[in-house]
Amino acid sequence: MSKGFASNSRMALLAVCVLACFTAVGARLVFLHVIDREELLKFVERARRQIVVEHARRGTVTDVKGNVLATSRSYVVLGIDPEMLREEDTPKWGDLARLLKVNFLELDRNLRRARAASQVALAGNNPETKEKRVRYVKLADEVDERVYDQIMDLRIRGVYGSRGYKRVYPGGQLAAHILGYINKENTPVTGAEKHLDLYLKGQDGWIESEKDGARRELAQFRTREVAPIDGHDVVLTIDSVIQNILERELDAIAMKFRPKFATIIASDPQTGAILGMANYPTYDLNNFAKAPIENQRNNAITDLIEPGSTFKIVAAGAALNDGIVTPFTSFDCDQPTVILNGKERKLPKEDHAMGTLSVAQIVSKSSNRGAAHLAIKLGDQRYYDYVRAFGFGESTRFPLGGEVRGLLEEPKKWDGLTITRMPMGHAVAATPLQIHMAMSAVANGGTLVRPQIIREIRANDGSVVRRFETEKRRQVLRPAVAAELAQMLHNVVKPDGTGNGFDIEGFEIAAKTGTTQKIIDGKYVNNRHVASFVGFFPASRPEIVLSVIVDDARVTGGTAYGRAVSAPAFKNVAEQIIQYLDIKPVRPSTRNLLATTGGAR
Amino acid sequence: MKPPPPNALVNKLVALTLALLMFAGTLGLGAVWVRQEIFQAANRSRGLEVQIADVERKLDEVRAQVATAESVAILLEKNQSLRLALVLPREVQVVRIDQDPILELARKRNAEALLTASISRNSDAFAFRIVPAAYRP
Repeated sequence: MSKGFASNSRMALLAVCVLACFTAVGARLVFLHVIDREELLKFVERARRQIVVEHARRGTVTDVKGNVLATSRSYVVLGIDPEMLREEDTPKWGDLARLLKVNFLELDRNLRRARAASQVALAGNNPETKEKRVRYVKLADEVDERVYDQIMDLRIRGVYGSRGYKRVYPGGQLAAHILGYINKENTPVTGAEKHLDLYLKGQDGWIESEKDGARRELAQFRTREVAPIDGHDVVLTIDSVIQNILERELDAIAMKFRPKFATIIASDPQTGAILGMANYPTYDLNNFAKAPIENQRNNAITDLIEPGSTFKIVAAGAALNDGIVTPFTSFDCDQPTVILNGKERKLPKEDHAMGTLSVAQIVSKSSNRGAAHLAIKLGDQRYYDYVRAFGFGESTRFPLGGEVRGLLEEPKKWDGLTITRMPMGHAVAATPLQIHMAMSAVANGGTLVRPQIIREIRANDGSVVRRFETEKRRQVLRPAVAAELAQMLHNVVKPDGTGNGFDIEGFEIAAKTGTTQKIIDGKYVNNRHVASFVGFFPASRPEIVLSVIVDDARVTGGTAYGRAVSAPAFKNVAEQIIQYLDIKPVRPSTRNLLATTGGAR
Repeated sequence: MKPPPPNALVNKLVALTLALLMFAGTLGLGAVWVRQEIFQAANRSRGLEVQIADVERKLDEVRAQVATAESVAILLEKNQSLRLALVLPREVQVVRIDQDPILELARKRNAEALLTASISRNSDAFAFRIVPAAYRP
């Protein structure tokens, strides 16, 4: 037998070498897969694994007619990597400047400077300088998608964008205090954006996968994919057109009277749905950062005022409801004092001598002493119960939150004069919305309802997720009494009333004027007032409740009476709302009768 | 009986080994092909996702632009800049009627025509009488 080319010893040596190699490989494998496994896996996870968050699209906010009030849109922050810029792309910089609407020379200078700096950093031997290489220079903050596409078509190497989403408010300042906004940190700050965030924000999704050396996703290694759930859309009860009518009227008030603040609220008395709620001062939601914080307050729910004579509806309504008076019961309103619990108490002053007035006249002529007599007849506790029942001293449960409860002390804390002063709207503080809702109760057959601002929540497919129904809070007055009081309030705009001249023919305006002296440094002052005109129409078939409240209006050479400051605005707004909502008159006017008969006799 | 030649078993083993190698190779190639297909399908799917996201983004953009163009403030601006002078009617301009407007208009026209006829005192004069289609015999 042939011995072959190798001796046994050589074969043995070769076998040992091969075995050693295999052993070494095996040992290394043991190290890699067993001993260093955890550490190496962590490294691989860091280097290759990635979790990409898929942001959910925030829902839109619309008005009751479907007009978009708040929506989201993407934008691109455009930047360059100076190290990637090429000399042959410089002729395209002119087009880039044109698309970005910036000065070409400035852009050219910036790009050349950035490129030169990056070349210096790259060429230098100093490692510290190399570490400070500039890889990103911002070119533009918010570039539209359309413009970005055009920029990408230029194919300039090193120019790229990173996307973000921002909230846009197409109406600008329209309903600013109701909508609220989302700040730069993407946090909802106030209004519907904050309080309905749960519905609007949706749920972010994520993708777990791996990436290659160029940080591109290796889609085949996706291990988990959770799809984002877009936010629901919110439909408000606000009507953009009515809201705009209110805001334009406030602009006119602001220009004429330069008040501290002013509020106009319009709502549907039956459902409590707020059709418009406007405040002055206001701000542009798209430029919220430039607005002073005072302008961002929703005065209708955060600011307390003494209701003044508008509060007389409480005393009148309560006394009628308890059956202790009728509309024809009369009181001597010239007497300056009254005996109360065995003591003589001063009654509040009147603007002028009133004489003997019936309950209906107390309301229409706005008699302070008459209202005091009504409250005295009711007694402290009973009157207080009615004030509470009308919603004063407690939250109206406005759905967007942030409201204050107002100030209303219990009878045990009242002094001897409170029962004579509170009926005229002193010694009590309320928000404009509380005053509005109290009047709304009269318009709604005596039922106090919760103000509604959210109509429904809709899913992306348009299906209704949740509908907000009318919430009855309590029955304050009997329907018959509410109707009686409504007719008394209609008398306010008749010739003998304090709101004479502010009726709209055929639409039975029922309202109450209010002029409250402001308290400055703890004292009532004569030259600063809160003027209000709060009411509804038509009196016999209420469809709209409207409140105009103006704080500290400046009237040249006169007093800021409710009838002088707020009533004209009320009438202007009411006339426009009547036409916009096509509210039918209660009685056709003579003019209409003539017109429909073609003038034939 | 003659025993099989010793190299026949070796040949069988070699053939089986080759077959095994081919089978394993085929499996290996198949696995590579499947992985490649998965890779391509995943990339196509990712590409489509990017396209869909792009379209949705552009839709959002368009929706926002439409909403802005339709906002009350912009429409009022257009009303001014285009001098359309569109305003809400005032109550004084509105004639409210409870009955069918066609009937009302016909009645009004007839009344006017009869009035004109009586004023003219001309026996040969005639008056138009408008009868709405729905009321024609």
